[in-house]
Amino acid sequence: MNSVKVAPRRWRGVALAATAVILLGAGIATANAATVGGNAGGNKPKAAAVKDPTRGAKGVAGLVNAANAFLDTLTDDQKASVLLDFTSDNATAWSNLPCGSSCRVGIQLSTLTDDQLTAAKAVLTAATGTGTGSGFDQISDILAADDNLAAQGSTGGGGAPPSSDASAPAADPSASAPAGTPPSGDPGAGGGGGGGYGSGLYLLAFLGTPSATGTWQLHFGGHHLAVNLTYKKGKVAGTTPFFIGVEPTSFIDDDGNTVQALAKQKDAISALVASLSTKQLTSAKLTESFSDVLLGPDKDGQFPATKEGVSVKALSPKQKKLVLDAIRPWVSIADDATAQQLLKTYESQLDKTFIGYSGTTALDTQGDYVRIDGPGVWIEFVCQNGVVYNNQIHFHTVYRDHTRDYGGEFSF
Amino acid sequence: MSATLLLFGASPASAHPMPHSVVLLDVHETSVTAQLEIPLGDLATASGIDVSQQDALRSYLTAHIRPVTTTGEAWTVSVGDLSVTATEQSSTGPYQELLASATLTPPPGGDLRHFLFRYDVVVHQVVTHTVLVSVRQDWAAGQVDADAVQVGTIEIDTRTMTVPALTVNLRGGSTWSGFVAMVRLGGNHILAGTDHLLFLLILLLPAPLLAARGRWRSTVGARTAVTRIGRTTLAFTVGHSVALAVSALTHLRFPAWPVEAFIAASILVGAIHAVRPLFPGREALVAGVFGLGHGMAFSFTLAEMQLSTGRLALSLLGFNLGIELVQVLLVALALPALIVLARLPIGRPFRLTAATVTGLAATGWLAARLGLANPLASAADSVGEHPTPMLLTLTATALAATAWTARTRFRARADRVRQRPPTAA
Repeated sequence: MNSVKVAPRRWRGVALAATAVILLGAGIATANAATVGGNAGGNKPKAAAVKDPTRGAKGVAGLVNAANAFLDTLTDDQKASVLLDFTSDNATAWSNLPCGSSCRVGIQLSTLTDDQLTAAKAVLTAATGTGTGSGFDQISDILAADDNLAAQGSTGGGGAPPSSDASAPAADPSASAPAGTPPSGDPGAGGGGGGGYGSGLYLLAFLGTPSATGTWQLHFGGHHLAVNLTYKKGKVAGTTPFFIGVEPTSFIDDDGNTVQALAKQKDAISALVASLSTKQLTSAKLTESFSDVLLGPDKDGQFPATKEGVSVKALSPKQKKLVLDAIRPWVSIADDATAQQLLKTYESQLDKTFIGYSGTTALDTQGDYVRIDGPGVWIEFVCQNGVVYNNQIHFHTVYRDHTRDYGGEFSF
Repeated sequence: MSATLLLFGASPASAHPMPHSVVLLDVHETSVTAQLEIPLGDLATASGIDVSQQDALRSYLTAHIRPVTTTGEAWTVSVGDLSVTATEQSSTGPYQELLASATLTPPPGGDLRHFLFRYDVVVHQVVTHTVLVSVRQDWAAGQVDADAVQVGTIEIDTRTMTVPALTVNLRGGSTWSGFVAMVRLGGNHILAGTDHLLFLLILLLPAPLLAARGRWRSTVGARTAVTRIGRTTLAFTVGHSVALAVSALTHLRFPAWPVEAFIAASILVGAIHAVRPLFPGREALVAGVFGLGHGMAFSFTLAEMQLSTGRLALSLLGFNLGIELVQVLLVALALPALIVLARLPIGRPFRLTAATVTGLAATGWLAARLGLANPLASAADSVGEHPTPMLLTLTATALAATAWTARTRFRARADRVRQRPPTAA
């Protein structure tokens, strides 16, 4: 599973193009001596800036430039749906469900022009990690998996069969989970509570005005994905809550490549629990059973008062490294520098961190569950029966931080 | 610790792709019935009991359903029949669930409308499971046919990892609101049940006509027609009221389909009678006899509610009153048109068309109720789903008929005036 080659897919091309643009545009950008902001009004979509959306700036300054470049491509009406207040209501408007815009805020990707979409993706690229299988690359895979579900829904079983089980497509015609809305669905496609599947039904919002000095949040998500990156005075103040899940866990895309969007997370968690001795497993075993993550949407600030499982303090140095390795794939939703910083913090808290599990450690059966709970970090990984691919499992995971969710802006 | 969720104050379903449990409460006079819908997967994980072990499952359920009074006194709980069915919730995909019914009874003197619902079936172990609790029927609060109203959600408090009891505070109920709700239910029942109304109207259609030598021929006087309509309507009322009262009070349970088929047959007979007189002059008797069947059908609605004897008697009264009020209103609306149409040249084609359409609907219903589903029956049923256009049409015909009568009389008087000899040059 580790050796699966991940070849170019739809979003990869965009990322490459964006990188090329960045390199080409760097010189022009400095020559332009452009200022941050300056997005004029007007109700016509503007042509995409053919230059580096970050204008060569690094970190939050670069992200803010990319965000403004995206805003510049929007009409006033579109801007109004992207630029929202940084309130608790808006920040917590995320879900793991395929409920489209009925449970989320922001602008739906399916409503954007090609230029606008390119600019939107440049924002996500600037905000998230660069590794293969994590950060923006992983986001692309989650969206691709949702396109697979959409195709599954609209063809009634004719989509690309998942690599791990060729007979997986729901054979039962009555297995009509929320009907597959075409990915390029109309703006209202995600409404009405039912929503649907597809990369068009993901929404992007800026809560507060993007700036390198103020407080604001990048808010992006859809089915199986919720990215909440909070910025304060030019620094990343919170990388959580970050919900990421996937169905199917493995599939073959149109180009014949195997896509396993959550491979990094699953493999790292597997390695960690596999390293535990029988005795350690006994103390890691949780008494409760789980059919989902405990702290999903609407469970903000509801961390259990008592930490459960085996104390990382009691683990060997090698095992401690495996704990950090297990945390890394989630933290990598943030830009690389922030991820490194956060990992250092979590490393310093390892002795007060606990590992718990429920079900089995194989991570292949409904109810298999692993939790990492520290003074800061909170990660849950759970296996659930499939919804579209009924005879497979799928993954739900959530990464929270006891003190940094939404940048610590709200108390729950 | 308890989560107080008042009626109408609860949040909607939680964001779970995993199916949740459903508890539907029917609030009776001395007890509450809880209909449970529990997803089998999580139930097996939580209880470790196979669904075939009914006794073990029943003990498990009893141990985890423990309502108490607001002062902490335990209610008694008895779990009835269990069954398994396939179902699906939004975003879950298909799955199997256990259906169970539990009777919850407060201790003597205990308040039925305010209690702590301690329920942790599945949730005690599968900590991500949620339970949606709704009131499906609450006679005293006037909730007799509406959709279930959610009273709250039972789920674990993740901070303490305990399951708080759900405080159930039902809004103040009274005998009066229960009675009024039954009047409304009776009225709606006859409006939506096209078949009862159609039977009566088709029987009234030839009331203004005189039968002679096996045909409907001339008309009778308006006064005679009104008397006939009154007598037939009254006989129908007596017939269905007697049957409703007897079958409801004696808890007589007829199987539904023969009764429903009998009703369809009664309409068919009425339609034929409107074309050719089968029993001229004895419409009232026929209405009374067939009315018995219609009354039995009305009693099914009451039987489903499983009311105590006291409430049953009141419900019977209210329900029947609602039926009669709407029936009288509709007959009054139809009456002018019936009398006027019989006197017009289009009276005959109208009567034949109405009888044919009704006959077709009745045949469709008869076939459907004998087990042969058909589009005729569904089309006829759908009329009952739109009572407003039906009422408007009836009102319009009543107004038109009244206007026609008034104009005819005015003309007749004008003619008389014109025929008077001129008195001055």
